[in-house]
Amino acid sequence: MHQFIGLVGTNSTNSTNRQLLQYMHNHFADQATIELMEIKDLPMFNKPQDRKIPAKAQAMADKIAKADGVIISTPEYDHSAPAVLMNALEWLSFHIHPFVDKPVMIIGASYGSLGTSRAQAHLRQILDSPELRARIMPSSEFLLGHSLQAFDDDGNLKDEQKAAKLSGLFDDFQTFVEITKKLSNANATTYQEVRDLDWANL
Amino acid sequence: MKLVGIAGTVEDQSYNRTLLKFIANHCSSMADIEVLDIQDVPMFNQSDDQTESEAVQYLKNKILQADGVILATPEHNHTITAALKSVIEWLSFKIHPLSGKPVMIVGASYYDQGSSRAQLNLRQILESPGVDAVVMPGNEFLLGKVKEAFDEQGNLKDQGTVKFLQETLTKFLKFVKVINKLNARNNPDDWESEDLEAQGEVDTTIKGVDMHAADWVEQAAAKTNAAEGDDYVKLDRGVLTVNQLNWFLNSMPMELTYADENNQFLYYNHQMDADQMLASRTPAQAGNPLADCHPKRAIDHVKQAVNMLRSGKTDLFKLPVPGMGPDKYIMHYYQALHNDQGTYKGINEFVLDLMPIVNYYLKQTGQTLAPDPNAKTDSVSGASANAAAPQQPDGVSGASADTSAPAPKPAAKPEPAVDSVSGASSNS
Repeated sequence: MHQFIGLVGTNSTNSTNRQLLQYMHNHFADQATIELMEIKDLPMFNKPQDRKIPAKAQAMADKIAKADGVIISTPEYDHSAPAVLMNALEWLSFHIHPFVDKPVMIIGASYGSLGTSRAQAHLRQILDSPELRARIMPSSEFLLGHSLQAFDDDGNLKDEQKAAKLSGLFDDFQTFVEITKKLSNANATTYQEVRDLDWANL
Repeated sequence: MKLVGIAGTVEDQSYNRTLLKFIANHCSSMADIEVLDIQDVPMFNQSDDQTESEAVQYLKNKILQADGVILATPEHNHTITAALKSVIEWLSFKIHPLSGKPVMIVGASYYDQGSSRAQLNLRQILESPGVDAVVMPGNEFLLGKVKEAFDEQGNLKDQGTVKFLQETLTKFLKFVKVINKLNARNNPDDWESEDLEAQGEVDTTIKGVDMHAADWVEQAAAKTNAAEGDDYVKLDRGVLTVNQLNWFLNSMPMELTYADENNQFLYYNHQMDADQMLASRTPAQAGNPLADCHPKRAIDHVKQAVNMLRSGKTDLFKLPVPGMGPDKYIMHYYQALHNDQGTYKGINEFVLDLMPIVNYYLKQTGQTLAPDPNAKTDSVSGASANAAAPQQPDGVSGASADTSAPAPKPAAKPEPAVDSVSGASSNS
């Protein structure tokens, strides 16, 4: 059974993105393990000269490195991913590289009808950058609009069509994880490139 | 023109901050650019609203008071920094100071790209409805290979780059004027809401005392148990007794008046009697609303002037006030007062006669006054008070009760026309 990390893309106490990941954790429990990961208490990324990484970020990186894949649920603030998620990804690409070649599935929930479409595109762009280089599942989008009304009292998705779509995408993600394992010819050189990357001394 | 520059970084050393400081210094003749720090702004969290924190309020006030904003962004992971994004999220959550504000984007990077992707991303963010900034189109300023770009004094080495930067800034200054004109049209009568009757109330307003009372000072002092005489007062920077403070202020070579942000006249340095003053004040006037201190015909001018200081359109304006004979050149100065967070706190009006200073200078340097044949003013007699009508002070309207100069309508402060639900809070 695959072991996944469900990265909650917000520090908000109440979040429908967290709710969505909790739903996946429960709903797909017989298919995979999804452990939720919070990003709240990391300090503001300031590119420290001593290259020291907060213990919490290192612990997150270790878990991500071990996982078969990461599911990120992002809110949308100002047409983009929230600062707090960007901040976590900055720490998780600062001389540590847990996301390199890691399968990632992006989902998101919003109060309005758009379901974080722009934040997801933004997040794809970020995860594609040279120090993250994640393997983002292509041609798939799960946009949960009107998220405050989306769940019933038991935390299940009310809309059957939405639930079916998420199930399908999750199956695809499991397949994608296996396919990604075969895309391994460049892994060694990619790791080397990322490790050698030193912007200040290019 | 007043601009603020924000470098999107909390690093100790940042080339983007260097770039902004270079722009501020090198282009100081084109615009007054103040570079602001974002080090103390906390990570945005919608469950822990810190809109009222000092760091956020400081940025808000500085941005509201500026004509435009220059943002310098690094690029991390193909996007802007979390630190800058967090600032923007605070400024689009409960408050919207960037709404309608002209913005120019610049950026520097170690490698070739010069923050190209971060800049594009920043445009998209700034145009979202909660932020609602007006970003200057085109004119990308991308500074790549930044480690080699500056000399030891922090100046850009490449003259072509400097020239391009100046051209870009020149365009931005025009852009700022156009956008602010566009904004002004929405609300041309902002200054008219200025309440010279001081009917509002601010934190420091002394309640329960009639502002019009001749003994307002005595009543207000009793009510607040105000320090007096030999009581000590701690100041920035020093400690004085109230007596010492009075001697000190009364010895100033000018007449000082303090009006608070509620438009209440609180204080003047009572050096002499009203008939000997350059701008007469009587002891009974202290405490009055500003409306009481000006004739009706001057009220609109005063409203416009106060509003320009309150909105930050200008921090100081000056006005020559003739009418005291050829031996005097009386200047009225109106200086905006702000607290540490940059919030408007009222006006320091200071009035003095420049002629003794001019005469002293001429005598000491063995010179005389002569008319300037190239002068563009109507005045032919230099610093003399016989000159024609008062000049428009720095393009703002005459504010004094004593002048009849026509007052052009000042540009009004735009109100953020943003629905608060469309800010950073809409999708969690």
